[in-house]
Formats: sequence, C-alpha cells, structure tokens
Amino acid sequence: MRLRLASLTRRYGALVALDGVSLEAAPGEIVGLLGANGAGKSTLLRTVAGLQPPDAGRVWVDGVDLEADPVGARRRLGYAAEEPSFYEELSGGEHLAFTADVHGLPPAEAGARAADLAARLGLAGRLDEPVRRWSHGMRKKLSFACAVLHRPPVVLCDEALESFDAAAALAAKDELRARARAGAAVLFSSHVTETMERLCDRVVLLHLGRVVGVVPRAAWGRPDDGPSPLEREFLSLLRSPTGGPAA
Amino acid sequence: MNADRGPAPAFRALQRAIVRRRVEALEPVLRLELAAIAALAGGFVFWQARLPLDHAARAGGAPDAAGALAARLALLALAGAALAAGRHAWVLREGPPGPPWLALPIPPAALAGHLAWASSLHALWVAVPAVAVLAAGFGLVPVAWLAGLAAAFAAALWGLARAAIAATTALAVVAAEPRRGAPALHRVLARAPRRARGARMPAARFRGGPAWRAMARKDVRVTARPGPARARARAAAACAALAAAAWAPGLERGLAPTAGAALSLFAGALVAQWLVALAGADPPGIVRALPLGTRDMWGVRAGWAVAAALVLAALQAPALAALARDGAAMLLAVAGGGSLAVGLLGASLAVSLHPRTDHARRLLGLWLGLALAASLMIPLLGWVVLLAALAHALRRVPRWRAPEAA
Repeated sequence: MRLRLASLTRRYGALVALDGVSLEAAPGEIVGLLGANGAGKSTLLRTVAGLQPPDAGRVWVDGVDLEADPVGARRRLGYAAEEPSFYEELSGGEHLAFTADVHGLPPAEAGARAADLAARLGLAGRLDEPVRRWSHGMRKKLSFACAVLHRPPVVLCDEALESFDAAAALAAKDELRARARAGAAVLFSSHVTETMERLCDRVVLLHLGRVVGVVPRAAWGRPDDGPSPLEREFLSLLRSPTGGPAA
Repeated sequence: MNADRGPAPAFRALQRAIVRRRVEALEPVLRLELAAIAALAGGFVFWQARLPLDHAARAGGAPDAAGALAARLALLALAGAALAAGRHAWVLREGPPGPPWLALPIPPAALAGHLAWASSLHALWVAVPAVAVLAAGFGLVPVAWLAGLAAAFAAALWGLARAAIAATTALAVVAAEPRRGAPALHRVLARAPRRARGARMPAARFRGGPAWRAMARKDVRVTARPGPARARARAAAACAALAAAAWAPGLERGLAPTAGAALSLFAGALVAQWLVALAGADPPGIVRALPLGTRDMWGVRAGWAVAAALVLAALQAPALAALARDGAAMLLAVAGGGSLAVGLLGASLAVSLHPRTDHARRLLGLWLGLALAASLMIPLLGWVVLLAALAHALRRVPRWRAPEAA
C-alpha cells in the first residue's frame, strides 16, 4: 500500500474531528474524500501530511511510519493545501526552487519540471512576482505545483482544484492521473462531486470524523475522463485567434 | 445604512467599533509592555526637554520657557501631521483596509472623511512625547499656561493632520489617471490595486544540494526582502557597527570596553530577534509538510547565531591591542560568548515554539530581562539565568518533530 491509515483519531478539545479513521490507498489509485463541511476531511489530510500529530492511530506513507520517521515520510508525499500559505517575501519561482532543493531534485530536472508545471497551470510569466501579490487561485495553483513537483509516491489534495480556472483544472487532473499511472496514490478531497466522479477510482464518505461508506467507481459508472462540453467550448475559445493560446 | 440620514451614523458606529476592538486586541501583558515603553520614551523626552526649558526660565522667566515649550509642541504637531500624511499616502497607494469600498453605495466625501479619520489616528503617536514635554514645563510655566498650550497643541495637531491628509489626497488625485465622470477619490482608489501588481524579482535558480543549504539560501532571500526579518537584521547590523565604533580613534578609551560589550550584547539580542522573525516567516503548511528535520530547521538558525557571534567578537578585536590580556579576554567572552548564548536562545525558542512567533518573542524578552535584572542585582547571576534559559530552550528543540498546535 502506498498510504495506510490505522485508527486515526484527532481531537480539538471536546470535539472529535477524526474518530478512528482507517484507510488504505494502493499504488495507482485515486481515492476521493467526500463529506460535508466539518466532516474531518482537512483534519485528515493535515494529519497525514504531518502538519498536526494524531491523538491516536498511525500513518504509513509508502511504507514509512510518519511518527517514527517524519522526514522520511514527508520526502515521499506532496501536499496541496486548501488555504496555502507561503513565504510572502519570495516569488512563485523561488518557492518552486526551494521545494525542489529541499527534496534534493537535480537542478536541471527540477527547473524543467517546474517550467512545465507552471506552463500547464497558467503560472508561466508570473513566476518572478512575489506571491503576496497573487490571487487566491494562483496561490492554490502554486501549492499544487509544489506538491507534485518531485513526483511523490503519495499526493494529498485538500480541495486543491477549487479556485482553478477550467484550463488549469484540466491540467491538474491530467497531472494527478499521470501520477497515478506512474504508481502514486492520490488522496483527493473536494466538495465538487462532478470532479470526484471524473477523477477518482473510489470515494470514501466521511461524516463527523468517521468513515461511513466507501463507494467504488463502478457505482457511478465511468464518465468521460476528458473535458465536459462546456469545458471544451471554453478551451476552444481560449485557443482561438481572438482568445489567445490556452495556458 | 439609513438612506435618509446618509452614511454618517454608520461611519460613526464603525469608527467607535474600530477603536474599541483595537483596545480589546491588546492583551493585558501587551498593555503593560506598551505602557512601560511609553514611560521610558516619555522619561527620555522629559529629561531632554527639562534642561533647555529650565535654562530658558532662568534667562527670561516664564514667558521664555513658555515660548520654548510652544516651539517644541509645534514641532511635535508637525511630526504628527507628517505621520498621518505618510500613512494616508500608503493607504491611497496600496488600497484602504476594510470592505471593497468602491462597491458600496457611499458618497465619495463620506468615504474620504472616513479614510482621513483612520489616517489621522496615526498622528496620536506624538501624544507621548507631547505629554512629556508638557510635564517638563511644570514648575517653570504657570499651570494655566500649560493647560492653554495643551489645548492649542491638540487643536494644532488635529488641524495640521487634516491639512496634511487633504494635501496628500490632492497630490494623489493629480497623479491619478483622468477618467470622465468618476469622482476624484474613486480614480485614486481604483488605481491602487493595479499599482500593487507587477513588481518583478530575479528569476529563481534551482541549485540542488542538501536541504539545510536550501533553508539557508531561503533565509538570506527572506532577509533581503522588505519585512520583519530585514528590519531586525538591519537593526542588529547597526548596533554591531556602533559596538565596533566604540573603539574608534578619538573616543574616550575608558568607556570603550563597557560600551563595546553592552552594544555587542544588544546586537546579539537583535540577532536573536531576527532569528525569531525568520522562524515567524516559515509557513507551517510548507515547512511541516516538507522533509525538513530538526537539523535543517534549528541547525541553520544556530549556524547564523554562531556566525553573528563570531562577527561581533571580531568587531571587538581592537581591544586586544588596547586592553590588558585579561580585560581583552573578558570583553571577547562577553561580546562573542554572550551574543552566542543569546542568539542560540532565540533560535531554539523560535524553532521549538513554531509557529507561535509571538510567544517566542515574548519568552526571549522575558529571559533577557530577567538576566539583565539578575546581573544588576548580583554580578554574574545574569549569566546563570541566561545559560539556564538556553539549556531549557535547547531541551525543547526536538519538539519541532511533533508540533502541539501547528
């Protein structure tokens, strides 16, 4: 298993945000996390990312125990935050370079990969600006780019594609599918069920911190992985001579 | 908003709420700290003003003293107006805080009045020195005259601040793009968000190497850019330069060791504040999700503390020639060893308490204050306090691995 959670529990005072959640994600699998506001999706992903310790339970990232070897586990995961925070003094490009350097990526490979991601997500041309001047959507794109830059075996996406424009959302979904095809496991939380239907192999339903159901993809069929009719129309407009090239 | 009465009552309520919330936002400890700082600053101004006023009173009686007092108050009123104008220029350039004002059905004059009120609050910073100057006049100028001067100062401060704000607005309107039909203030504020964009930085470079080196490079970049870390680093550098200047030719050599040691220690404290500010800039969502261990986070900051201590000790090198061997060794121990201990204390508190930068800053200030007070009471006791604090903070550093509330 790429990702394994065993009886994960997290409390905030009297509130039990996660109540013994157990979950597994196999190589190549995109697992959706669906739940209402306050269901515990963000708490689960923040705990798996190592941003906050669980009160009980354990997490293994690509076989590495998060508690016993937090640095080794974090080396194997990428985390795209719901509300990303950055070094406000640095530019987007400097964040990508910092992330690549911390992961020990070879400079030439990292630079090419960062440029490719930036172009596909519509960040090219803005990477030399300080992130404090960026819109919320651009900050979320940068968080996503940093999460997948080093091609981690486990990708955690906390409502990561919300605020993306249509072209960037399609590119991000393509990137997640490519990561999965390469053997990574993706844990993907969202409120947008349509995105879940198109992207995920399996959806875990969270309610009040508990897993209340698991829905396999067979239950909702297999919709077309490509863009919807509206997205196709939008992309064709972007690519038209008056709309300019698509990002 | 009641359309019949206009927005004035709504703005009055908003302004009352803003003042109330700002006062409530100050924790009791912070209020005491601010009161202590105000008392220190006021005391300094009092003694700076008292001697010249006393001299004027002896030379020309109460009228001369009152004249000297009025001149100082006039300067303070001008300084207050300049502060308000500076704030207003910033607000017009970067955009005002609060809701999207231009989307609200507010007459431009009412919005201009509110923004002017908010900026004019910054003129109140001169109230502390003004009270100190007035206090310096007690016994030299009749109390009734002092009351009159205080009232005149308040009126002048208000009037000058409003005039300076109006002038700033007029300048901004002149600089704004002409747009037919748009009110002047709207043209200025509509420009603010656009001007805020477009600043460019050097292209990022991917260098590779170990994670700690990436952290160190990132620390340098964060310090080079505008922000709290740069302000602390500049203050530390200025203080270190002053410590070196204690040995400049022509200055009193008898004071040099004491001044050099004290200023070096103060520079060390500012280095510690810089390290706390650096940790404060570390977003938890980034540094805790990346493969950064204690060695990377604490080791890099400890390395900066060591480097700063070496620089501070090197700046006291002239003491080797000017002092006896024991004295020079003592000075270097204080300048280098003391600032190293203080710097390591700052680095350790910042890492172990991350992301609670305010807690780290206060705890650092508390420990340093205790060490200073202990030193004044019993020689060398301050060192015991400082080293005990450092030992305690070092023991907590491994907490980086398991944040309590990241």
